[in-house]
Amino acid sequence: MIENVIDTTEYCRHCLMCRHVAPVGHVTHRETLTPHGVAQLVASERRGMIEWTEDTVQALYAFSDNGDSRAHCVTSQPLGEAIAAARSEVVAQDKAPPVVYELHDKLQRWENPHEAAEPEPPTGEGDVALFVGDDATHLRPSTLEAALALLQAVDIDPVLIGRGRSNGFLASSLGLPSTAEALVRATLQELAESGASTLLVLAPGDYFAFGQMSDERLGIPWPDDVELLEVTQLLAQKMEEGAIGFSQDASGGPHAYLDPTHAVRVPSHYDPARQLAGAVYPDTDRVELFWRNGRAHPSGNLAVQFTSPDVADQLTKARLKDAQSVGAKRVLTADPGSLHHLAHHASSFDVTVEGLFETLAARRS
Amino acid sequence: MNSTDVESAVMMKNMGSTSNGAPLFNEEMVRSELEEIVGMDHVSTERSDRLVYSCDWFWLPQMWLDRGERMPVPDYVVHPASPEEISEVMRIANTYDIPVVPWGGGSGSQGGALPLYGGILMDVKRMNEIIEIDETSLTVTAQAGINGQQLEWALNEKGLTLPHYPASANCATLGGYLAPRGSGTISTKYGKAEDLVLNMEVVLPNGRIIRTPKVPNHAAGPGFMNLFLGSEGTLGTITEATMQVDYLPETRLFRALLFDDLSDAIEAGRRVMTGRLDPTVIRLYDPTETGERVKKILGEELEGAYMVIGFDGDEDLATLQEEKAMAIFNELGARDLGRKPGEKWWERRYDFYYPPQNLKFPWMYGTTETVSTYSNCKQIYHEQKRAVEEGYPEWDIRYIAHFSHWFHWGTGMYSRFLIEDPPDDPEEAIRLHNRVWNTAITAVMENDGMINEHHGVGLKLARFMRRQYGEAWPFLETLKDAIDPQGLMNPGKVGFGR
Repeated sequence: MIENVIDTTEYCRHCLMCRHVAPVGHVTHRETLTPHGVAQLVASERRGMIEWTEDTVQALYAFSDNGDSRAHCVTSQPLGEAIAAARSEVVAQDKAPPVVYELHDKLQRWENPHEAAEPEPPTGEGDVALFVGDDATHLRPSTLEAALALLQAVDIDPVLIGRGRSNGFLASSLGLPSTAEALVRATLQELAESGASTLLVLAPGDYFAFGQMSDERLGIPWPDDVELLEVTQLLAQKMEEGAIGFSQDASGGPHAYLDPTHAVRVPSHYDPARQLAGAVYPDTDRVELFWRNGRAHPSGNLAVQFTSPDVADQLTKARLKDAQSVGAKRVLTADPGSLHHLAHHASSFDVTVEGLFETLAARRS
Repeated sequence: MNSTDVESAVMMKNMGSTSNGAPLFNEEMVRSELEEIVGMDHVSTERSDRLVYSCDWFWLPQMWLDRGERMPVPDYVVHPASPEEISEVMRIANTYDIPVVPWGGGSGSQGGALPLYGGILMDVKRMNEIIEIDETSLTVTAQAGINGQQLEWALNEKGLTLPHYPASANCATLGGYLAPRGSGTISTKYGKAEDLVLNMEVVLPNGRIIRTPKVPNHAAGPGFMNLFLGSEGTLGTITEATMQVDYLPETRLFRALLFDDLSDAIEAGRRVMTGRLDPTVIRLYDPTETGERVKKILGEELEGAYMVIGFDGDEDLATLQEEKAMAIFNELGARDLGRKPGEKWWERRYDFYYPPQNLKFPWMYGTTETVSTYSNCKQIYHEQKRAVEEGYPEWDIRYIAHFSHWFHWGTGMYSRFLIEDPPDDPEEAIRLHNRVWNTAITAVMENDGMINEHHGVGLKLARFMRRQYGEAWPFLETLKDAIDPQGLMNPGKVGFGR
């Protein structure tokens, strides 16, 4: 766990060196909503110069917490973690936006923010488990179905855990660390009971939540004897080994792989995902988005989708506009949460949004 | 008087109102007009925005906030999307006599973007489109609010680069490159931002939108574009610019050297420049900075004057240029440290600016950078160093310097003073800060240096402009009065008042 993490704002309040990758600043153009602006608000509140009011809290909760600022900081200042800590103070003062308390209630009762439904129990025991999460359960079940079909094709029949449960990031980002801890511990409990030595995850957000966030923000270390792996990494490896293949479709025109939300926190995501996309759509038709790889910006599936829906929409639309501007007709990504948001706006940009796993499953040879 | 009263008082003064209850009324009336132009989402009077936009990268306002004090805040933060919208905003400003402060990245170190008199703070970052990349003429035309690094990435995708690499590229805007006449790391070969601009679009204080001639090197009358380069928003708002770009170089060669004597190192740089060897960069650290900063960031523990020299472009040509430079360095007794430390410096050249490696609170610091001819630069260095270090023995000032922007006729010196334990009292801190600045700049002016090479004037150096320009200053004031008769644009900066 990072000690005194909120002090990071003291460093960041006058540092502008991650402005160029700040997603919310880029779509809103508001200095206040850039990393240094939010840090300045936190630092000023601690000095008694401002109070947490509707205005200042709204700004605090508009920070994306996508990891871009830290990924581009030469000294890796954990500003996202600091903002989460500042938000927890605001929550404790009963000054957070009302939606935060509503979400808190949902996350405590249902362990997800989307549906009034408790998580399903794990499917049994086995050497490999798959964390399903809340987005794949409630927003985009087709992603889960496709991923399972692909895994079965390489003779992996994972134990499903966390079926309908948030990975804890949302709670952490909103400033609800004890709820985040409860969510992570519940999943780790299921993981331990499954007996799995590998946990597969569908998206970089899950990888980050278990592989980094839990330890740094909540003090929950990842178990040493369990390998954490993205499904994309596993499938790319299996494809390279010849264990799975796909038929190519050259009819669709230019396509782009969109690095989903939190991808900058998981650089190991970039290449395997593109290798898989390239197995279905020819590399000659591949275009790259401007906001990609180490500078990837998020879609709207962050806490801002609830606290600043307008900002979340702008983030999602910016991804599609990026695709449009580089001439992509198809956009693929693996993350069910990103897919949910992208699909909602795709028609306005004349871009088709496809789930990577869904596309792969349909073209398995 | 509480802070809200102060804000209101500023606005009442600006609007010439004195009656109780008028400020809110006036604020809402003007706000409504601004919203009509740029849209409701793009005008803010929120406290959060007013606070954040009250401070740029100048040490003084940062210190003031650090100590829990309040800076003057803007009355409105406005985000226009086009020069036409800026023109309309200027109409309102003229009608109600409201100051206007253009804001790009807020990364200036001179206080040039501080809203000293409140008014309209005009953040141009919504104007961030690339209009055209001309791959034949090697130019890019972009709106002034585009982020420097984002512009660079876009050019890189086409194998091009805007060869202006300031440390602030991550946060500064194109307009911010030009308004204070900035320099970047490779200015020695490619020139300052002002040398790279072909033409600009500017919204004048009266709202008129003008464009300078297509190319700068002509004989069709005066080059009035230069008026806006260095005007720092006091004569108008830069909204678009066409810049010269280059191909990304085939090769970049770097090498580090160590000189026992700083004077020999400066002489080496002079010979390289006057010999037209066309280096990309010459970065020469004085012995103090070599011992402190170079050690801290690059891990090199060395005594003497550390130099990095770079050449780029065609590999054969760059290699030949480097060989010829090395002959000069050998003659002057330099120790060749090889390529690795030079390459390391290039990779880490901006690491100096990231926390906690940067200069930081509670330290007091200032960059008293200057430019002068080779005949004067050594004298300026020694005089400034002596004056600053010996003038304030009770504050144990450290003085460090490097020479980073070289010309055929002289060099820019990036000198800094540091006080690790400055006064706690913010007012006392301001006074000490300004006294040290007076000392440092006086040493420059007494030895025929310019008070600044590339950071601009802003508020920090405004008080020195009259002396710097002497008899020419009233001429500049006359120009300002003619272009901005109401003194609306960025008042209090570059030596121009309200």
